[in-house]
Order: sequence, then structure tokens, then C-alpha cells
Amino acid sequence: MRSGAALLEVQRLTKRFGGLTAVAGLDFTLGGGEILGLIGPNGAGKTTTFNAIAGTFGADEGEIRFAGEPILGLAPHQIAARGIMRTFQHNRPFAGMPVIENVLVGAHRRFSTSLWSVLAGGGRREEAELRRRAQQLVEFVGLGELLEADVSTLSFGQGRLLEIARALAGEPRLILFDEPAAGLTPAELERLGGIIRGIAARGIAVLVIEHDMRFLLPLASRVVVLNFGAKIAEGTPEAVRADPAVLNAYLGEPRNA
Amino acid sequence: MRDFLELSISAAASGCVYGLVALAYLLMIRPTGIINFAVGEWAMVAAFGGYLLLSKLEWPYPLGMAAVLGFMFLVGWATERIAVRPLVERGAPLLAPILALLGMLVVFREIVSVSFPPDPHPVPYPFGLGRLELGPVGGSYQSFFIIAVTLVVFLAVWLFFERTVAGKSFEAVAIHRRAAALMGINLSRVTALSFAGGAGAAGLAGLLVSPNISAHYLMGVPLAIQGFTALVIGGVGRVEGALLGGLLLAFAEQMTTRYAPIPSGYAQGVPLLLLMIFLLLRPTGLLRSRVAKA
Amino acid sequence: MSALRWLAAFAVLAALPFFLGSYYNDVYRKLLLWITLALGYNFLFGICGQIAFSHFAFYGVGAYSIVIFLFQLELPFPLAILLGVALCALVALAVAIPSTRLEGFYLALATLALAQLFIVVLNEGGAVTGGTGGLANYRLPEVFGVRIAGPWYTVVIVTLLLGTLAVLLRLDRSWFGRACRAVRDNPQAAAAMGVDVARTKVVAFTLTSALAGIAGMVYAFVDNTVNPPIFGLDNAFLILFMVIVGGAGRHAGAVVGAILLFLLPFFLSPLIGHHHVLVFGLLVVAAMLVQPRGLIGIYDALRRRLA
Repeated sequence: MRSGAALLEVQRLTKRFGGLTAVAGLDFTLGGGEILGLIGPNGAGKTTTFNAIAGTFGADEGEIRFAGEPILGLAPHQIAARGIMRTFQHNRPFAGMPVIENVLVGAHRRFSTSLWSVLAGGGRREEAELRRRAQQLVEFVGLGELLEADVSTLSFGQGRLLEIARALAGEPRLILFDEPAAGLTPAELERLGGIIRGIAARGIAVLVIEHDMRFLLPLASRVVVLNFGAKIAEGTPEAVRADPAVLNAYLGEPRNA
Repeated sequence: MRDFLELSISAAASGCVYGLVALAYLLMIRPTGIINFAVGEWAMVAAFGGYLLLSKLEWPYPLGMAAVLGFMFLVGWATERIAVRPLVERGAPLLAPILALLGMLVVFREIVSVSFPPDPHPVPYPFGLGRLELGPVGGSYQSFFIIAVTLVVFLAVWLFFERTVAGKSFEAVAIHRRAAALMGINLSRVTALSFAGGAGAAGLAGLLVSPNISAHYLMGVPLAIQGFTALVIGGVGRVEGALLGGLLLAFAEQMTTRYAPIPSGYAQGVPLLLLMIFLLLRPTGLLRSRVAKA
Repeated sequence: MSALRWLAAFAVLAALPFFLGSYYNDVYRKLLLWITLALGYNFLFGICGQIAFSHFAFYGVGAYSIVIFLFQLELPFPLAILLGVALCALVALAVAIPSTRLEGFYLALATLALAQLFIVVLNEGGAVTGGTGGLANYRLPEVFGVRIAGPWYTVVIVTLLLGTLAVLLRLDRSWFGRACRAVRDNPQAAAAMGVDVARTKVVAFTLTSALAGIAGMVYAFVDNTVNPPIFGLDNAFLILFMVIVGGAGRHAGAVVGAILLFLLPFFLSPLIGHHHVLVFGLLVVAAMLVQPRGLIGIYDALRRRLA
């Protein structure tokens, strides 16, 4: 399912770290309901691109537009406020809160009660409603039994699911996955694939950075391949899989191609 | 002019004391990231040790000094073992050992306070009260002694970090703990040594400054603040920064007291203001770290 | 807490002073004030994760400013109160805005310097602050022709305590409290979720400092004297210790810690005189090593085990 205009537009993105050019002149777009995979060998520039979109840092050249608005250089919380949520490769839960509260932090941008209203005792209906939705999300990712659980008791895979529920709580239009498959068992991978498909089915644009080709290629509707900071291929997973430039870049990693 | 030179010597001596306290912080912060505010109390403990051994028991100065410093190494090692290592090994957040050390700060102060009467206790001058004239500059023996000892210590520490393998391993831990451990560097030993060294530096500062101000159980916190201000001014990245920061702070303090048209009480505010200004405007200090942080 | 519970709590706490002699009334008032301060400090430190040593400095700003506004500038009572609160908020903002860029203990050091500077200003303030001796010989002005004193003033302090608690509970249970905890637990993840970390820290710092200032204004009329040592570092350390030992992050923890560390010296003084702080230091070290969640953490763990 693909909506009309491109939701995310990356144009001529260039980022240097000192003498090293991590990303050079990258262009791609992404629309609602699409699952775009961003792949490439280590050091190809995937993480740099991810971070530029997520607001961790800006870039030296280029533009990033989201729903027509420029977002390059905005701070992470501003990016989130616009409806772009992300997960972290190394799970970053809020250790001092149970699962449901973690997810509710993800819903932060949905709260509209002002601090003054809070002090006057207001905002309770909103709190209850958002809590209800958060609970649904926890159930959607399969953690329904663990609503009040201490996050330290979660397994690695469950922590990953929490990351996803938390990102979804912000009701994003674009969700960025940072190597979501890393460290998961085959059963967990299958569930993850189902969840990501379910997210795209809701019309949300999905960008996935991934190393694990066996996981990503069946899942993505489109793939962009990076090497040494530049795009070397773009297209459907089947097309990319057979692309000689891609095979060349991955020489030495035959299992993944 | 003569007055200014005279002031410079005493300011330099104060600056050296602050620099030693800043060095103490630095030795512990670099490999562990832990800010040990108890360094002031360590200086105080050493000052009282000086009183005990040098004033009361009248040991010869070199012996007394060595004994106090040796004791301080032990105190530093013990502090690390008790309040820091269990937390680090458990993977507790950085805040936990810092808070535990605040508790230890109070414990040290109260132990001394219980053991001695509340009045200031005199600590003898190693070279007596005389003055030394070096051409246009003149100052007390103690001032020159402090400057000389500090320069030797800083030189030794600098050489240790720059030229020895052990010193380089400290740097490695400072830059990336996990990588250093993977390369076979013994993290526990580095941490224990850093705390022992920190206690030694702080203890030395306490010993050097106490003949002038006497050992008193409340002397710790002001020293800790001044030392930390020196550290912030100089920057955590380089050993020389600690000394530079100390000297700048001392000069600012003494010049303000002597020449500025404000009531003397406000002079106490100088280190505090400088600390706030540097923390808020230039927290990395004046000297850039030579190695870029990972 | 339901309205009934609040009323009951108020009734019990407010009735108590009428049955206490003047000595115990004084102890009770001081205890209530410490609990109020601990609750506010717990929000900043335990819930928002910011260590600051300026809490008592703001207590002092409140106390000194109400006395100065009322008796030196001779402003009308309501205006003096408003200005006092505004002053606390302004100073807090001025410190918070640049400081929140600092990480962890660096904020603590900046606030420590602020606290010490405050004492220096008090000591050197001449006639305005009364210097090292402070200000005395004043009384609470009449309110609508009534002079509130004795156990009735204790009722005012009870109101302050419950009011502070109500404010903090509301904040804690809202998106703001959650944002504060997120900032405490993982600022980077919090930002990714849309939390404006800097703004959250500034608001938490300003709010809790203003609350401390209001408590200070109430305190000014407890002993009818204000002098520098009360607002110094020793008490700043003490409030931190109270919250750690009681259980940082929990309102009940702040209450328990404040009560315990406030009352402990009374029982310990026959044994170790003024050196009860030694015990506090040891308790803090023990808390960090054994149960960082404090006494409340121990209580929770026991309850879980018995359940």
C-alpha cells in the first residue's frame, strides 16, 4: 500500500567527519506504507544517514524534507514532535519505570495538557485515553502480559519489542528502525517481521537499516544500497540482489547477498 | 612593583596547592569519570597526620612527610575498595560512587572531628619561618618549598603519563574503558592506583598548606571547591591544566583581595564566581585535551 | 489521594500542635519544614535526576527576602509574598537555563558554588542582610487584624507541607513527571521520544527551587530570626542524604528519610554528641552499596517477598 507524494525526501545528503566523508550526495525518497531498507557493508554510511534524519547531528550539504518541511539540523526532540519516531540498536529503556510507563513516554508528543492545567488537576481524561492506547500497543507487539513489569526483567528480544511499542506510541508517520534484527532469535525475527508489516499496513512510512539480508530482503518493498557513503543501487529486493555492483560490494560476505 | 612580585610568590604557592588538589581530582576522573569531592577531606586528614607526627611526636620532617603520604596512599586505596569498586563491578550508574564518596566525605570529616579537639592544630614548617630573596623576588621558605615540591610532582606525573607504558594504560582507560579492558589492561588496578595517587596528591596539598593555615576539621570543603575550580579552569584533559588552573585561580584571588576596591569578605567569592563562570561558559577548561575523545 | 484522605491528613497533622507543649511544637514545626524541603528536593533529584546543592540557598532567598521586603522596604504583605516567590523563580531560572547544559555532577558543582556565594553575600550584606548575625526582632504581621502565632502558625506549616505535596503529586502523575523520569533514566532516549530535555530540567529546577523559597518564607516566622549558617552547605548535604537514605524517587521515601534523619540526632546525641552526621554518612554509603532504593526500597522488597 503506497500513498501519493513522498513523505520523506533526502537530497544530496553529505556528511563529513574531519577528513572522512561518511555520506556523499545521497538521494532517496520514502512514502507512507512503504518499507525502505537501507543496506550496505560496514562503514557504508547507513548509520550516519539514520542519525542525520533522526536529528543526532546535522549535515554539511543537502536537504532532508518531511511532508514538505525541511528537518535537517533539527534537534531530536523536534524531529519526534513532527511525527518521526525511532528505535535504538542497543535497547535504551527507561530503567526506572515499568513497561507501560516506558511506552507512555513515547506518547509524549500526544499530550496536550499544559503544565498549568496539570497543576489545577486537569489532564486526567487525556492521561487515561493515552494509557489505553499505549496498552493496546503493548499488546500489539506481544508484551501484553508484562504491562507493569520492571524493564530489567525483560529479555533482549522483549526489550526490542518495547522499543518498537514506545516508538509507535508517538503515533508517528515515519518510523526509523536501527538494526532491529540484531540479536534476535529466529522466532523473534518472525514476529518482528510481522510487526513491521503491520506497521506499514497502517500507512506509516518505515525506514530500516539492517545488516541481516535474510531478514530484510523479504520484508522491504524497496532497497537502497550504500557503499563508501554513496548510493550504488536502488530498487526492489530482487533487482538489488542480482545487481553486480551490490555483489561486488559484498564480496567476501556471500551468505548475505 | 616589589609588592606585586612578593604577592606573586605567595600566589604561586597557593596556586600550587590548588593545582595539587586539581591533580587529585584529575587522577581519579580520567580513568573512571568519578568526581571525588572527598579530596578536600583527604587533604585535611593528611594535615592532621602532619600535626600528629610532626608537631606532637616531633618526627623529622622527611620521615613524617613520607609516613603521612604513605598513609594517604593507603586511605585512597581503601576508599576505592570500599566505596567504589563494588559499585563499578555491579555496573551501577556513575552517580552511585559519586554519592557514596559524598557519604565518605562526611565520614572522614566526622572521624577527625571526633578524634581531635575542635581548635586548629599547628603543623610545623619544614624550613622554619625564614625568607628567601632571589634577586628582585622574595618570599617565605614555605612558599618556595611548596612551589618546588609541586613542580617536581607535576613533572613526575607528566613523565609518567607521557613516557611510561603504565601511564599510557591510564590514558587508554580514560579514552575507552571497554577497549582498554579487552586489550588486557587491568581495570581494577588502574582504578585502585588512581585513587591511591589522588589521595597522595590531595594529602600532599594538605601537608603543604597546613603550616600556614593550621589543621582544622573544616578546611576540607573550601579546598575541595578551590581545587575543583582550578580543574575546571585548566581542563580535565591535561595534567599541566591542573597546575595552570590552580595558578590562575590563586592569582585571581590574591590580586582581587589586594588591589580590588571591594570589601575583603567578598574575596571569598572569587573562586566561586570563577567556578560558576567557567562551568557555565567553558566547562572544558582553557587547555584542549590533546587526544580527541572517542 | 482522595479529597477525604487529604482532609483527614490535614485534620490530624493540624490538630497535633494543640496538644504539644511549646518545645515539642517547635520540633514538630522544624520536622514539617524538613519534610516539605525533602519532598521538593526528591522531585528534583530522585524523579528528575538532577543533583543540586542550591535547595537551601533558595530556602534562604525566600526567608531573607520576605523579611527584607516586609520590614526594610515595608511593602504590603501580599506584595512581599509575591515578590519573594518571583525572586526565587527568577534566580532559579537564571541559574537553571545555563546549568542544564551541564551534565551530572557539574550542575551539582555550579549549584554548590551558588550556595556558597549566597552565604558570602549574606555575610557581607551589611545592614540589608544583617551580616553574619542575620536578621531578628521581627514578627509576622497581622492578617486581617489577626496575629497568627503558636499552634495556629503550625497549621500554616501543615498547609504548606500538604500544598507542596499536592503540587508535586500532580506533576509527578502527569506527562511532566514521566518526562522528568525519562530525562533521569536516559536523556538521549527521552529526546528521541520528543521530550525537550533542557526545558524539562529548567522547569523542574525552577519549580522545586521556587517551592523551597516559599518554604523559606514560612520558615522566617518560625524562629523570627534568619541567619546565614542555616542556609549553608551542611544542610544542603543533609537534605540529599535524607532523600537517598529514605529512597530517592519516591515521595514516601522523602518523608521517611526526613523523619529518620531529623529525629535520629535526638536519640544519638547521648552517644555521639554532635557527630550524628557520621552516622548519616555511613548510612548513605550503606544505601549506595546495599540498597540504592533506600529504606522504601527495603520496604518494597519485603512486601514483595511476603506477598
